[in-house]
Amino acid sequence: MQYNPCMKHQLIRNSVRHFAETELEPVAAQIDRNATYPLDIIEKMRPLNYFGLQVPKEFGGAELDSISAAIVVEEISRVCAAVGLCVTVHNGVAVYPFLKYATQEQKETYLPKLASGEVIGAFSLTEANAGSDAGSVETTAVKNGSKYILNGTKIFVTNGGVCDVALIFALTGSDQKHPQSSVFIVESNYPGFLRGELEDLCGMRANPVSSLFFEDCPVPEGNLLGKLGDGMKIGLTTLDNGRIGVAAQALGIAQGALEAAVKYAKERQQFKKPIASLQTIQNYIADMATEQTAARLLLYHACSLKDQGAPFSCEASMAKLYCSTVAAKITSLAVQIHGGYGYSKEYNVERYFRDAKVTEIYEGTSEIQRMVIARAVLSQLIL
Amino acid sequence: MLNIVVCIKQVPMVTELPWDERTGTLRRDLASGMMNPACKHALEAALQIKEKFGANVAALTMGPPAAEEILREALAMGTNRGILISDKRLAGSDTYATSLILAAAIKKECPRCDLILCGAYTSDSETAQVGPQLAEELNLPAAAYAENMEINGRTLRVRRLVDNFRETLEMEFPALVTVSMEKYLPRYTTLAGLENAFVGGNISIYDADDLGISDKATERQCSRTHVRKVYLRKAQKENVVLTGTAAAVVNEFLNKYENKISAAIGKTIEEKKPGNE
Repeated sequence: MQYNPCMKHQLIRNSVRHFAETELEPVAAQIDRNATYPLDIIEKMRPLNYFGLQVPKEFGGAELDSISAAIVVEEISRVCAAVGLCVTVHNGVAVYPFLKYATQEQKETYLPKLASGEVIGAFSLTEANAGSDAGSVETTAVKNGSKYILNGTKIFVTNGGVCDVALIFALTGSDQKHPQSSVFIVESNYPGFLRGELEDLCGMRANPVSSLFFEDCPVPEGNLLGKLGDGMKIGLTTLDNGRIGVAAQALGIAQGALEAAVKYAKERQQFKKPIASLQTIQNYIADMATEQTAARLLLYHACSLKDQGAPFSCEASMAKLYCSTVAAKITSLAVQIHGGYGYSKEYNVERYFRDAKVTEIYEGTSEIQRMVIARAVLSQLIL
Repeated sequence: MLNIVVCIKQVPMVTELPWDERTGTLRRDLASGMMNPACKHALEAALQIKEKFGANVAALTMGPPAAEEILREALAMGTNRGILISDKRLAGSDTYATSLILAAAIKKECPRCDLILCGAYTSDSETAQVGPQLAEELNLPAAAYAENMEINGRTLRVRRLVDNFRETLEMEFPALVTVSMEKYLPRYTTLAGLENAFVGGNISIYDADDLGISDKATERQCSRTHVRKVYLRKAQKENVVLTGTAAAVVNEFLNKYENKISAAIGKTIEEKKPGNE
């Protein structure tokens, strides 16, 4: 019999929510405060396919549709955004390029381990002088016999402290006008692969974000992903996909904040009645819920385009821009509704507020998203 | 290989279920559904038996079309097939009618099943009646509130909690057991399992005609009980401060609450009172 996709999405949501509330909720505040990566919980997530969301079943993944994958990230992030970040970066920008660009041999070597979570992935484009301007990468890969020798430094690498495999963007030459970059599959046990100290960040503190250093790091030529010089193309396509994940993450944080705000507004008594009965608070909640729903629909629209095989770059940017903006606003209002308590670490909204901010920055800042969207809109003949 | 049927029920998510103070009924329209927790433990027990001895596990439920969701969940956890009995004529069935309908479905779909497992009770009505009634209807040996099960050939050994003691029973297959929530902590569903449950999951849907019970199994003819009213009991709590000497306070306390305390502990406390003139 035919199945109802809404029922499937609801069941996946309930199932992930149950896991997140049982396993992550009791420790979310503490691992944020102490900036600890919850390895024991990650271990429990591995057999449940959290690290192979869209990997085909033949490689041991769950082969979920994109809306289901977004729901998984939403629901983890609703409880603990830092673990949501680990999952979305692993799936969205570390595994996805394998699905799209890897040779059969590379897929067979890496996908089963990535999908089972035995190997955690990272994606390293950003450098000290190459953020929004992805073309300014300075890390180099020079061919030497059957190897490429990598030299350079990557910064703000999500999962950097724990990754076993990282996709590294490096310069491999230049044509007349532009430097030419390529992507390499680099294992953390290669000589010359070094990790920096973990970053001390404002939010997402339980994710081990670090720098990665490459000092004459030899990479087998078989570990070139795609073709030589494909770096920019792979980078941009991967970021389109990653933006769906970050949008889902932002949405999950916003959901957590909205629920906390509604609960608090019903409980908190001022002027001898719950503050939820005050029109100003009601207006806040109405706006939060409306924008949250609009953001969710925009995200699922981008997901469905991706699943149809249609171009989704512009819509992914719209979803990422809007979801992160809404998340920043909703978490800020959630703190406002909590008043002084919201500014205290005793309440989760303080964490949500810090976590939401970075969704406006990473995987392309809001300013870059607007650039992508404007380019797409201006290039269309019929709007 | 064993054939196991697990009877499960969709219940409203308790934390989400608000009361309508005005009409005194549950606002079921506002709540989303979930698998009854004790049913999930029963399902886990079946899956553990399947892993240990090999078994064909079918999940059976009666409910509205939306109850398909818990069958999909059961498939995701590792059940082989799902059976949904859904018919508007069966809506409002009481526990007796439900057990007749489930028995008809089991006779038709799983006539040779060795073991029927049910949750010990449901979170929405807590009658704990359907399992034992189903065993009566099918004329099977049964044990309720099982904590643990061991299988040895065709013999099933069940440990159950009864009031303040545990008893161990043995019975031959076929048998029926209702499972409590002491053990058999349900596994987390895998995402691949959920995906497979929807893409290739084996679910059959039957109505009363399919089961051959349309003539007798409608609510009016079949249910022996009818709900007249549901209401929220108002808790009557008050703080009482007793003052005076210790002896006087104890006396006053016992005089005032003797009956309630006796009722609660199930024995009289008359002769243990200190000098109470």
